Amino acid sequence: MSLKNYVITRVILAVPMVLILLALIFLILRIVPGDPVIAILGGKAPKEVIEQKRHELGLDKPIVVQFFDYIGGLLKGDLGKSTLTGRPIWDEIKERFPATLELTLFSFVIAVLVGIFWGSFAAYKRDSGVDIGARMFSMVMYAVPVFWFGLMMQYIFGVVLRLLPVGGRISPTVDLKVITGIYSIDALLTGNWDALKDVFEHLFLPGLTLGLVISSIFVRMVRNNTILTLGQDFVKAARARGLKEKVVLFRYALKNALVPIFTMMGLQFALLLGGAVLTETTFSWPGLGSYLVMKIRYRDFPAIQGTVVFFALIVVMISILVDVINALIDPRVRY
Amino acid sequence: MRKLVWLFLVLAVTLSFAAKDIIVVGTTDKIRTLDPANCYDYFSSNILQNVMVGLVDYEIGTSNLKPMLAERWDVDETGTVYTFYLRKDAQFEDGTPIDAHVFKYSFDRVMKLNGDPAFLLSDIIEKTEVVDDYTFRVTLKYPFSAFVSVLGYTVAYPVNPKVYPADSFYEGVPSASGPYRVKEWIRDVRIVLEANPNYFGEKPKTKTIVINFYESASTLRLALETGEIDVAYRHLDPRDIIDLEGREDIVVYKGNSPQIRYLVINVTQPPFDNVKVRQALAYAVDRSVIVEDVFAELAKPLYSMIPEGIWGHKNVLPERDLEKARALLKEAGYDKNNPLTIDLWYTPTHYGTTEADVAQVLKESLEETGVIKVNLKYAEWSTYVEYFLNGTMGLFLLGWYPDYLDPDDYVWPFLSESGAKSLGSFYSNSEVENLMIEARKLTDQEKRAEIYYKVQEILARDVPYIPLWQGVATCAAKKQVKGILLEPTQIFRYYILYWEE
Repeated sequence: MSLKNYVITRVILAVPMVLILLALIFLILRIVPGDPVIAILGGKAPKEVIEQKRHELGLDKPIVVQFFDYIGGLLKGDLGKSTLTGRPIWDEIKERFPATLELTLFSFVIAVLVGIFWGSFAAYKRDSGVDIGARMFSMVMYAVPVFWFGLMMQYIFGVVLRLLPVGGRISPTVDLKVITGIYSIDALLTGNWDALKDVFEHLFLPGLTLGLVISSIFVRMVRNNTILTLGQDFVKAARARGLKEKVVLFRYALKNALVPIFTMMGLQFALLLGGAVLTETTFSWPGLGSYLVMKIRYRDFPAIQGTVVFFALIVVMISILVDVINALIDPRVRY
Repeated sequence: MRKLVWLFLVLAVTLSFAAKDIIVVGTTDKIRTLDPANCYDYFSSNILQNVMVGLVDYEIGTSNLKPMLAERWDVDETGTVYTFYLRKDAQFEDGTPIDAHVFKYSFDRVMKLNGDPAFLLSDIIEKTEVVDDYTFRVTLKYPFSAFVSVLGYTVAYPVNPKVYPADSFYEGVPSASGPYRVKEWIRDVRIVLEANPNYFGEKPKTKTIVINFYESASTLRLALETGEIDVAYRHLDPRDIIDLEGREDIVVYKGNSPQIRYLVINVTQPPFDNVKVRQALAYAVDRSVIVEDVFAELAKPLYSMIPEGIWGHKNVLPERDLEKARALLKEAGYDKNNPLTIDLWYTPTHYGTTEADVAQVLKESLEETGVIKVNLKYAEWSTYVEYFLNGTMGLFLLGWYPDYLDPDDYVWPFLSESGAKSLGSFYSNSEVENLMIEARKLTDQEKRAEIYYKVQEILARDVPYIPLWQGVATCAAKKQVKGILLEPTQIFRYYILYWEE
């Protein structure tokens, strides 16, 4: 199969996957008790008002009709309107997504750096203190609940040491012209160095929290893969040629060990986007994760569906991208 | 080195002066919309109350109405035609005058768009008219003496026709008519208010107010402790309030709240259809444990649906008396060998983290009779509401925030047949209904109060609801921030906050 055909096949296969997911979400939301109109108006508004609002939102139609209405809208790029705020879901997602993306990228960079360097070094110094430390770290960090770790970070760096802010994306009194919604980039674009410093101070704790938790998986994977690779013939051959250990480790062993890890990291990045929910709530980070939690509370059907579809598309896109890159690196994948 | 120290000192002094003109408030609430036609949640209203004004307002610190955009008004003898004479110097921030045409546009728009709070106007208003540029007339469907109180709520605030479209809700930044205008609004991140130069009234004491939004009470508390914010308003946990009270640099404010919490009893569902059972429950509940143990005194026991601080209030429900409760249960046919087994429902997050504790304490206090067995059950808010509308739940916890400050809003929604249905008690009593309709027609406050006393006595006799406690509003702030007032109306005015010199 040519690369082009491979990509097309993957994209076509993704469509039913997203549709099935959407149908499931759609069904689950409507099967569980709880009505979005009632959740907003409580028991205060007269019954007629509730009925009328339900009619306006199309919630009195049969589920099947609602589903096809929704799919019809989706095909036109319309995610519907929030039952809670009445605003287009797409606008709300656009407002919230940059925050999640910024946090995810920052955490990901931390996770990858910690993972690759500590993991490969632990493999190289097998059974030394560094290695035992790495194994302990990945075990503990994998088990620690992210919100508890976040609270500890807030307490130590925010309350006790007074070094960093405990929540939010930017200080209340710092002005910043929002262009992309990714504040660090906006601060760079506008040359606002005070804002840039402030944004990074706010980004540091949630980013480090999420980054360290995710890095626990990377450390272990890089370590194990590197150990496997270090035992292979081509590494022995490189050593026999008298190459420096550093070169052997980074140029030969790690490069080969990273191929499967790369796939894993790509998928982790996609999961990170959704996994930021707890971190966002802990650090009052106004991203899509905390948005989803809020919308679930109010049974805001279109918002929940829209956010899930959005996440699904991103996960699918990233996994296709990872596969394509893998296929480029290793042609065997395509068959 | 010395130069550097001087420079630092000058900078510090400058910064401290610069900081005097800005106060940072933190909250875990959210703004849903800044369109009065669709605004029906606390914090959206709170912002509108600082950037817009209505026909009437409340005197600061009280629940007494005073003229605002209306200099005066009169009511015809039928009690249905209200004529408002408007002040001539009011305008929106862009200079658009606020006249009778603007009022007609705004009222009609609310009723046409039929947003969440629209029923407050559309249920009672027959028509609106422009008499002349500065005279506005409203005709009601029936006499309703609390109408002027309704006008104190944001649903009746006039909007700028150049900004708010006639046929759709508006999602942007409001056009201000009040002390502040909105300078910047990043949804769920922050909103920045600055003094509105075109406001006819007194200038705000602090030029800029920044309101920062937090996702959780713990982060809000940390933000206050670390100095990121100057004021934490809604919602700190009771535990946090107690901790903060112990700090020297922070002051905790407490005020009356018009919010009430109560048990709803579905009077159509056995065994609650027996009035003796309901009366027994009213004797058995222990309010003091809830107030002291769960809320650490950040709540007050409540013995009527009309809370303290609202005129017409009268304590009508009995103090705790387990003997009386047992005697009533015996009359209803229950004793130790044949106990009364009931479900008590609560919703775990909608009313904050304390709700499960309240339910547990209630269960224990009822079981202390030795004749009642209580099973605790819970459901998430949207499910919960569905359950009580369907009459699924027999006994459950609920809360109420008034839409307008008048005793009518504490009895009509609960005891009128239509209201009781929508709140899950399904109570219906023509005597009470007629009394309440009578009170709505009268304008004499004393005569109305007399009627409400009677209504409350019937409530205590029939017990479709058991009032438990009324909230205490709280706010924590740095010691140097002054002007914080937790008003009975729940209006939190940012424009009277200032830094102590």
